This record gives sequence, C-alpha cells and structure tokens, in this order.
Amino acid sequence: MSHTAAVADGLAEPLIPRSNGALVFDAPWQGRALAIAILLVERTDQQWDVFRRYLIQAIDDEPERPYWDSFVTALDSFAAELEPD
Amino acid sequence: MSEDHHHPIPRTAVEERVDALEALLIDKGILDPAAIDAIVEYFEHDVGPMNGAKVVARAWTDADYKSRLLVNATAAIAELGFGGPEGEHMIVVENTPEVHNVVVCTLCSCYPWPVLGLPPNWYKSAPYRSRVVREPRVVLAEMGYVVPDNVEIRVWDSSAEIRYLVLPIRPDGSEHLDVSELAALVTRDSMIGVARL
Repeated sequence: MSHTAAVADGLAEPLIPRSNGALVFDAPWQGRALAIAILLVERTDQQWDVFRRYLIQAIDDEPERPYWDSFVTALDSFAAELEPD
Repeated sequence: MSEDHHHPIPRTAVEERVDALEALLIDKGILDPAAIDAIVEYFEHDVGPMNGAKVVARAWTDADYKSRLLVNATAAIAELGFGGPEGEHMIVVENTPEVHNVVVCTLCSCYPWPVLGLPPNWYKSAPYRSRVVREPRVVLAEMGYVVPDNVEIRVWDSSAEIRYLVLPIRPDGSEHLDVSELAALVTRDSMIGVARL
C-alpha cells in the first residue's frame, strides 16, 4: 500500500475517482448532445467512427477540457461539415 | 439533473451551444425531437451494466454459451437480445487465475453501449486513458484492486470498431446461486476490468 502511494505521489496526474455508481448523464444536455450525434450519424448513413474522429481531435486539442465540452465541440464541427450554411 | 423550472440554474455556454444546435437541426427538419428523446430514454433505461451482467452469468453457468461467447461475442450477446450501436464488433476477454484483462479507450471514450451503457466519467478521463496502458498495476491498485504480482495484466485498447467486455472469474462460494442471482453479483467495474468480484 505504502509503496503504491509513493509511486502515485510521483505522478503529476490526479487520482482517478473510485465511484462505482451507475451514472448516466450529469446533466440533460449531455444526453441530448449524444442523441444528436447518433442521429446525425444515422441520418447521413455513416459509421460512428466518422464522428469518433472529430471527438478524438477535440479531446486531443484540449486534453484538460471536460469530456462533454469536447464532445459538444466535436458535435459542432461534425454538424457544420454535414450542413454547411 | 436540475429540473426545477421555478428556480432555473444559469445555463452554461456549452449547454446553450447544444440548445442552439438542436433547435437549428430541428428547424431544418433534419432531426425529430421525439427521436432525440427516444435515444436519451434508451441510454437511461434500456442499456447498462445489467445487460453485461446477464451475459457474464450465462457464461458462468453454460459452458457451450461461454464457448460461443469467446469465439463470436457479438453473436452470443445477440442471443440474449443485446446489440446495436457500439456493439457491432464485440470481443469478450476472459479473466483466469493467470491473466487479468482491463479495457480502455486511449483516444476518446469507446465503450460497449449495449452491454455496459455509457462509460463512467473516470473511463473518459485523461489520467485513466493515458496511465492504464503505461502502469496498469498501479492504476488498478489506486482504484482498489491490487493484482497479485504473478498475474499478468493485459490492457485492451478499444479501436475504431472493436469493443471489449471482460468476463470476470466467478466468485468462490457462488456455486449454489442461479443465473439471476449470479447476474446480481456482477459489477460494471468488473466487466471493464478495474475490479474483481
């Protein structure tokens, strides 16, 4: 236990939460964002992997940004690509 | 979580972006509001670790099913009625006394929706995604599971299509339990591979 803590102390990254709760969405907008992404992928007859590439890019651009913020950034880019105004 | 319309909490910028995009797509006739609600409903009620737990319990009690599951997980999972987006290419990895499996998506948040629902926040966090590959034993210990030194840890990185489910070791002393009682023992974290039963 102590040596594990010592190793962990040497790392700059925060500890991982240990909750085992069955959390689905923290807020309703997160569920709606996911649903919009799924429906846009379906509607354009594409694979989820197409959206995934936008998501990976958004996460990679700002690794410290909250996950769902990155998700919405990816969704904005994906939607703009599909429906240019 | 807050549905108190009498005292609404301030809307965040990101929330307003979702509102705006949703309104635009509905207005253009691209999206149907009912379809959005149906998908949210699906994630809140129809999918989740309870589905994966049924798969695991069946595999523990039916050797033929377990064989099929390890050979073609997608088909075997579909036998129990589970499938759909993010579950089209499933692989089940079996824990043994010699090998412990743990799953990650190093690049984003890929996860087997039909059998586990949506991933927990820590699964999507940068520390988990980066560290579990580099030092799985340390990360698992921090999460409360000290893997014995003589047990090999295999880390499975979800790729563009493949989604993984861990088949945990059946707990000692569970011989007298039936399938539904066994399913109740199976936790989400054990099927990701960050906990044991």
